[in-house]
Amino acid sequence: MRLKRVLTVFFAVYIIALSFIPLIHDSLLAQERWAGYGTGAYQFQNQHYFVLFNDPYDGSSKPHIHVNPSFAPATRISLLEFSDWTSWVNDHNLFNEFNATVRTSSNALLVTYASPEIVVRKSVEVTPDTVKVIFRCEREFKAHLEIWRWVMTSVNGMSIMDASKPLVIAPTNLIEFTFEDDRLQSVGRGSITLSAVPAEIMIWPHEKGFNKITIDFVNSEMSLTVWGSMEAVGTPPLIWSYALLPYVLPVVAIFVVGLYLLVDKYGRTIKNRATRRGS
Amino acid sequence: MEERLRIVLLAVAVRLAIAPFFMHAGDVGTIYESSIMVLKGENIYDYVYARTLQIQNVTGLPVFFEGYAYHPLLIYFFAPFYWLFTLIAGTSPVMIDGHYPSLPVLIYPWTPLLLLMLKIPIILADAFVVYLLAGMDTRKAEIYAFCPYVIFISVVWGMFDAFVAVFLLASYLTYTRSNILSGVFYGLSLMKLYTIVLLPLYVVRLFGKWRALLEFLGGLALTLLPVAYLLMVSPKSIWNVLITFQGTRLMGGVNMYNFIWIVQDLPFDLLVSMVPNILLVAVLVWLIPRFGRKAPLLESILAVMFIYFLFGKVINEQFLVSIFPMILLCKECDHRLWVAPFVFIFLRSPFYYFALPILWTSPIFYSYYLEADVVWRQLQAAGYLQIPMYAVGVGFSLVILWNLVRILETTQTSAAMKPL
Repeated sequence: MRLKRVLTVFFAVYIIALSFIPLIHDSLLAQERWAGYGTGAYQFQNQHYFVLFNDPYDGSSKPHIHVNPSFAPATRISLLEFSDWTSWVNDHNLFNEFNATVRTSSNALLVTYASPEIVVRKSVEVTPDTVKVIFRCEREFKAHLEIWRWVMTSVNGMSIMDASKPLVIAPTNLIEFTFEDDRLQSVGRGSITLSAVPAEIMIWPHEKGFNKITIDFVNSEMSLTVWGSMEAVGTPPLIWSYALLPYVLPVVAIFVVGLYLLVDKYGRTIKNRATRRGS
Repeated sequence: MEERLRIVLLAVAVRLAIAPFFMHAGDVGTIYESSIMVLKGENIYDYVYARTLQIQNVTGLPVFFEGYAYHPLLIYFFAPFYWLFTLIAGTSPVMIDGHYPSLPVLIYPWTPLLLLMLKIPIILADAFVVYLLAGMDTRKAEIYAFCPYVIFISVVWGMFDAFVAVFLLASYLTYTRSNILSGVFYGLSLMKLYTIVLLPLYVVRLFGKWRALLEFLGGLALTLLPVAYLLMVSPKSIWNVLITFQGTRLMGGVNMYNFIWIVQDLPFDLLVSMVPNILLVAVLVWLIPRFGRKAPLLESILAVMFIYFLFGKVINEQFLVSIFPMILLCKECDHRLWVAPFVFIFLRSPFYYFALPILWTSPIFYSYYLEADVVWRQLQAAGYLQIPMYAVGVGFSLVILWNLVRILETTQTSAAMKPL
């Protein structure tokens, strides 16, 4: 009986203690650095942004920038997504026609796109206020970038009412947009600041808003500084988010261990009683 | 007809009826690719190692290509059946890619025949287990023969843990009759490397009986000759694939450690994954000298394997098959613990994933797959499935603990009751 008691106590404590690891990691260790996982995905979390750089076998999310609203910090709201699937450098598709390798360096994620013709480097740097995506090359290159969001209610003051077809907007190095989130009953604002005025900026309508901004430029370097924030309009409802999992697992562990202890203790008693009654 | 033969034939019939239509794309694909390479005389480990180096270069992370990471002998159980398949269907590709995250391209009408042929060795292993069990207790043989979990692993998924089951059972059954045979069977059970935890147990039990120990180790050494050969021919590859990959895998599976899947930070995850490794070694060092010699062999083997299930960092759904026949033979154990890994299968992978060979037969079925997959991915991305997966993992660990305690208590009691 002593062995059983020792083992049961050990495992009860062990399981519950382990279940806190995700919470400890996310609140103390995962902040403000690029963490790689899975088949080559990376993520960065700070107080304001969650940035996902998806695995090299998937052309989407290169990167995918999310906002953590101050009124719902565990919630990640998509702000903008850069896509390699739909972006080109010198008329070559970034996902299909380049060999991409990923490395991290302090706060920057560095991606090298190499083809026999050209080598382009993309870095993603996250600061407390912004996320900066920089394209660099040793020589001038022609780029067509596609940046997605489902959907933006307005871009540089234009709504879907003003542009029922894809529209070229006036040359500028500042793109401002708004969006809404039904689940959180909130509105958001975002901006992309370019280091130079590009050759062309187009916005693409889709049902209730714009779902894509395309930027064409010719340069040896271009940085896109992304900013975003959200404000609650009404009282945001409590909603489930993946980021809440670290809080839930200890509860699950305590519940399952508790259930085991109860069944182990009273389950046997009931069985014994039944046996006694029967005999 | 003799009862024993009737159960075996029924078990085989059920499996043959299911085998051609289902598969786990990644695992069956690995066996298929490896069989092709073996017939061409290529080194499988060189291929897997090269793919690993390529992935690590692209991602900058310590990730591994999950290909053939098993005992070299394993593929020789499958390659003859693939060769027979090529006599009928030729050598053109039938299954193209399929390693996660890609979906395979399947070529018809040959896919069902290929699946059937590659699963025949697994079905035979299951049949041998049923035959051996039926020789001792037909009721237990029936449980193994028709257990939905075992059938799922062997012929729906097409995983070969039944090999480990039959060889481990044979090693146990021949232990008192022929140490050399017991050693050979134990060596063959290492097709999936996790039964390595039993080696100290066998050594401790035979310690002092030098001739028996030598025979056992001799039998084991015979099965390790291909490993020794490959260690000489391509040491880097086989070391990386068998030792580095298996030794530094991320913890998780049907156990209390799968919480790590939500911690998206690989270097941290690998560090934490060392904790169960250290505990496993410590507990085995404590347990084997105390219980290994005095407990009956069956209970000792199960106790060590249960310790592995508690502290082994990777416990995949199929692993329980390897000790399931022995659990059936153990009076103290509750064989219903198969329910947990069986439930886990459907939480971790969508049920339709295993029916790819059926769903890939028509564009309409394929569109159903895509629609179902969108829903499944949404559930996964929201984190809804991680909660029941974790609960089932913890529950399974606790049920294993309960069985382990029963074995240890019974062993202690019977040892105390032995006359001095």
